[in-house]
Amino acid sequence: MLAGIDYFIVIAYIAGMLLLGLYFKKFVNSSEDYFLGGRSLPFWAIGMSIVVSDIGAIDFVGISGQAYRYGISVGNFDWIGSVPAMLLAAFIFIPYFWRGGMYTIPEYLGRRYNPTVRTIASVTWILFFALDLGVLFWASAVLLNVLLGWAIWTSIFATAGVVGLYTYFGGITAVIMTDVVQMVIMFVGGFALIYLSLDAVGGWHELVDKVTNMGPEYQSHFDIIQPIGSSSPFPWTGILFGLTFVMSNAYMIGNQSIIQRTLTAKNEWHAKASMIFASALKMFIPILVLFPGLIAVALIPGLEDGDQSLPAMIKEVLPPGLIGLMFAAFFAALMSSVDSLLNSTATLFTKDIYEPYIKKNASDKHYLKVGQVTTLVLLVIGVSTAPITENYPGMYVAIQTFMSFFQGPLFAILLLGIFWKRTTQWGGVSALTIGIASAIYMNITKDQHFTIEDPFLYISWWSFVVGFIVNVVVSLFTKPHSDERLKGLVFSSKIMESKEEN
Amino acid sequence: MLNFDWLAGVSTENAKNIFLVLFVIIGILVMMIPTDYAYEGVEKSDRHWYNNLKYWALGSLTILFIIYYIF
Repeated sequence: MLAGIDYFIVIAYIAGMLLLGLYFKKFVNSSEDYFLGGRSLPFWAIGMSIVVSDIGAIDFVGISGQAYRYGISVGNFDWIGSVPAMLLAAFIFIPYFWRGGMYTIPEYLGRRYNPTVRTIASVTWILFFALDLGVLFWASAVLLNVLLGWAIWTSIFATAGVVGLYTYFGGITAVIMTDVVQMVIMFVGGFALIYLSLDAVGGWHELVDKVTNMGPEYQSHFDIIQPIGSSSPFPWTGILFGLTFVMSNAYMIGNQSIIQRTLTAKNEWHAKASMIFASALKMFIPILVLFPGLIAVALIPGLEDGDQSLPAMIKEVLPPGLIGLMFAAFFAALMSSVDSLLNSTATLFTKDIYEPYIKKNASDKHYLKVGQVTTLVLLVIGVSTAPITENYPGMYVAIQTFMSFFQGPLFAILLLGIFWKRTTQWGGVSALTIGIASAIYMNITKDQHFTIEDPFLYISWWSFVVGFIVNVVVSLFTKPHSDERLKGLVFSSKIMESKEEN
Repeated sequence: MLNFDWLAGVSTENAKNIFLVLFVIIGILVMMIPTDYAYEGVEKSDRHWYNNLKYWALGSLTILFIIYYIF
């Protein structure tokens, strides 16, 4: 499938990323440099990094497949499922995290509630990220095996070697700056595919006509709002309540790998601007990953597996050279996900587990070394656990489901923590544990309670409601925190006044 | 109740209007943010309309509104 020029582009890309990442080694002299880039990075780099780390190689194929089956409503996840939450994060949450000099989200939860909440949140993220790493390696390697014909272990070692080296030496600065190049490659490759495939189908109006006239199941392929009785997993009620009000906020405000990037900004304006800039870029993501699936409905109808739509489109539409660029984009998506997981997990472990529980008050160089060693250990865990996925093919979905249990209750404690000063530590602990338990219960008994096939959006919403109510009730019955303890942790209109006036 | 059956009577057109109104409300909230807060971190002498983050946010919301209006 690949011509010589394509192989050249892919290999040049991988080598280029390694060299670029290693260049940033010279900027790492302290743990703050390693985890927060010395708080010196500009908004545009952080914004591009947020967007690219959010999309993996598996998503590239998976979202096109979903678009082939369900149409444009899949785009809700990057549109309404991102933009409002990113604005809320930019204007309300990020200034608190940035001004507080925090490294992790659990660190905020620890200060606002107590160390138990910090530990529960941090351990959950570490487990999720560490498990995800192995699954990501394997699933992406299988994908590249199908697309490129590369041996599975060649893909795993190539990715682990390159990403591991630059993340180990360059820390988050290397992660963010390589993400910038990766985003440009993803956008160029993606837009080339869209332009050529739209041209092949005869233009936008021709595409809409062809798809909507293909039968009743394609009538609403261009409707972003799906009715409650829709057979797709994305009815508008789930999108509004589960995605917009809960999951997107939990993801954009409570996800370490997203928020950590904004904390690397050189000042508060850059921190806020990075998230708003990312919200604008994010709206183009569905064009890159969703439209190939939609166009494939017209160009390659009758595919049994929707996930074959993107590989089939690449084969059908792209000329040599651009195919190589598209595969470089696949690698970009994979590498940006892996480097994010590595650096964020190393930060969580070092700052939330090692520093408070294993070795307090050590030198800064010591924590820098711990962060680097953790990165290496994670890489070894990721590579060695990758083959487990072969025996448990449902593991990727299982890990994503596990994470969705956490989203609703996490957002409930973040929201009440920042907006309601009466919230107490026991309210937070109870909300997190009971909320997660309620999500697990709803998932186990989903056939009895829900009518749609995969009700993860509804489960997120209702577990958020449970977490919210439990937090309020328990807080009202327990001793409030003093104003002194809450200083700088709870929203006040004072934060919106100029700092010089405070 | 868990399936939002009580909203089954809302048509998709009205559901779309709910989304559009939501974007307008968020836009109004963004406009209510004090301008100094949107500029926080920028030297007073360097403050221009193009680095007012309220405009950036309204730009994003406008694109979002157009996408949902069209589809």
